[in-house]
Amino acid sequence: MVPLLYYQLLSAALFGIGLYGVLARRSAVLIVLSIELMLNAVNINLIAAASYLNGIGRVIAIFVITVAAAEVGLAFAIILRMYRNRGTVNVDEINLLKW
Amino acid sequence: MAMILAERKVSGWIQDRHGPNRVGPWGILQPIADGVKFLLKEDLIPDHVDKPIYLLAPAIILVPALVTCGVVPFGSSITISGYEIPLQIADINIGVLYILAITSLGVYGVVLGAWASNNKYSLLGGLRSSAQMISYELTLGLSLIGVLMLSSSLSLREIAIQQGSYPWTWNFLIHFPAFLAFTTAAFAETNRLPFDLAEAEQELVGGYHTEYSSMKFAMYFMAEYLHMIVGSAVAVTLFLGGWHFFGLETVGGPFWSGVISFGIFFAKTAFFLFVFIWVRWTLPRFRYDQLMNLGWKFLLPIAITTIVVTATVWAFTQSKLLVGILNVVAAFIVVAIVATTLVMTREPEPVDDRDILSFTDESSS
Amino acid sequence: MIIQTIMFYVLAVGTVGAGVMVIASRNPVHSVLFLILAFFNSAGLFVMMGAEFLAMILIIVYVGAVAVLFLFVVMMLDINFAELRAGFLQYLPIGGVIGIILLAELVMVFASGAIEIEVPTNVASPTPPPDEVTNTQALGDVLYTRYAYLFQGAGFILLIAMVGAIVLTHRRRTDVRRQRIADQVARDPKAAVRLTDIEPGAEGTWKSD
Repeated sequence: MVPLLYYQLLSAALFGIGLYGVLARRSAVLIVLSIELMLNAVNINLIAAASYLNGIGRVIAIFVITVAAAEVGLAFAIILRMYRNRGTVNVDEINLLKW
Repeated sequence: MAMILAERKVSGWIQDRHGPNRVGPWGILQPIADGVKFLLKEDLIPDHVDKPIYLLAPAIILVPALVTCGVVPFGSSITISGYEIPLQIADINIGVLYILAITSLGVYGVVLGAWASNNKYSLLGGLRSSAQMISYELTLGLSLIGVLMLSSSLSLREIAIQQGSYPWTWNFLIHFPAFLAFTTAAFAETNRLPFDLAEAEQELVGGYHTEYSSMKFAMYFMAEYLHMIVGSAVAVTLFLGGWHFFGLETVGGPFWSGVISFGIFFAKTAFFLFVFIWVRWTLPRFRYDQLMNLGWKFLLPIAITTIVVTATVWAFTQSKLLVGILNVVAAFIVVAIVATTLVMTREPEPVDDRDILSFTDESSS
Repeated sequence: MIIQTIMFYVLAVGTVGAGVMVIASRNPVHSVLFLILAFFNSAGLFVMMGAEFLAMILIIVYVGAVAVLFLFVVMMLDINFAELRAGFLQYLPIGGVIGIILLAELVMVFASGAIEIEVPTNVASPTPPPDEVTNTQALGDVLYTRYAYLFQGAGFILLIAMVGAIVLTHRRRTDVRRQRIADQVARDPKAAVRLTDIEPGAEGTWKSD
């Protein structure tokens, strides 16, 4: 049997990759993509913990998936809006707090 | 293969002409001749394509269509010299979810093929297809929930067994609006006329497969037929009682009853496929906004209504008859409400379809 | 058992590799594809952990809907991604440092056993035995009873997200001609048709529309 630790390490690695993506990429689309990667890492961790330790991780994982879907929808609405108004999705150039 | 011939024959019949009739007796060998032709044609790859994805896309569309077959129960079971062989490749306990998950992959073959072709007509086809698939997948999934609630199982075999032998106990009567919504959504998911906007040969040359030739085109072509077959088989399993038909389960011994059950399943699927072809020549293609209106304003409300009605009625009365009747009534009411709202507002809320197609040129202006 | 271990390594390497490619690949469409690959591999891991319902949900939600949305947006927005790439290295040091620090912290936390992970009784069978309830049913049992309020809350979040997304992106275009079925149905022949007597040989004094 694969020890739980391996799943946790995998999840940590994936989370690290996602975090790096969020910090390093400049396109808003790719940042959202990286956030999805991080959420996926969280899910792996939750489910691994749930199956090894009989926790409620699976229920939480469902909520994570739900909220992630909602988040993506809103994020894209904002990105589209941003693109229409500013003609770019580069987060470095979105530096105005007001119009 | 037989399906392709059948399509052309039925097409011919509906249009009052002969189908293919040159190769072999009654043109039976025509599909084989077509296959040989596809194989021998030059397999050309345009210069400017994104090569890995371009090569991957036909496989992506074909594989999901094939692996879905794995969970569809084709019949009860055959007993050969003591061994009982169920006529199903794998009976997994989340069969319905598996099918929904795998069919949702089909869209990638279309979208990626379209994008990788680096051709604007293809890209338009791909964009249309992705929007269409997202919209109709919702209906496809939601219309099944009523069925799943009453059978309290996600296994296709279990659902088919629970429906019993008589047509009036099959799910399509109990969940009639859901059945209609499911069938329509299945049509949309297979990209068949009247939902073939992604292909739309009059507008978009060939749509997503414009740049594909030879065997790669044939893979798209086969995938379309496989999707039809799988869609019909799933519809038959979930709504038309699978391999059941009254009086026929008891016929024959342990071997022949299995064969007969397969025959029944096959006949039902064939009927469904005939409907596919029939509809193709009956209904013209939808306009894009009509497509979106149909999906979001009629089918989706109907699917959601069936969930609510089924759950409520079942919780209070436990009567399948009542569920069936009230489902239809509720669906009528919902459609009436939607239609009156659309008419009363006098300016129907337009779906922002132009948004998709003219987005870039508007932002540049 | 050995097969399970091999499967774990294959899927884990696939997930991490695909994750790296999501960040590293040049083309956003390729990024999305690698994201899909990563999700597939994690779905495989879920199945290995005996959570096949969640695995299917993951594929349906992410691969079926979210990733299509990603592709749709990437294709629709005419973004010059090469230009965005130009400053990619600018944030590499700080991003890399923070990512690695966090990774190291997580690894240390997990590896040090600060979280109690030794529960020997049920480590043996992460997959529920087939005679027990399926995990779909097990999930439903708690989801609709103990977590009913959370469930409702999730529903509200989705509703709000939906309303928000529509409000943000919807706009009524005035420069597009649309079919108005209601207007067509309500059209009255008396108002629409006009009978005119035209003198033979008279020049066109009437306008066509």
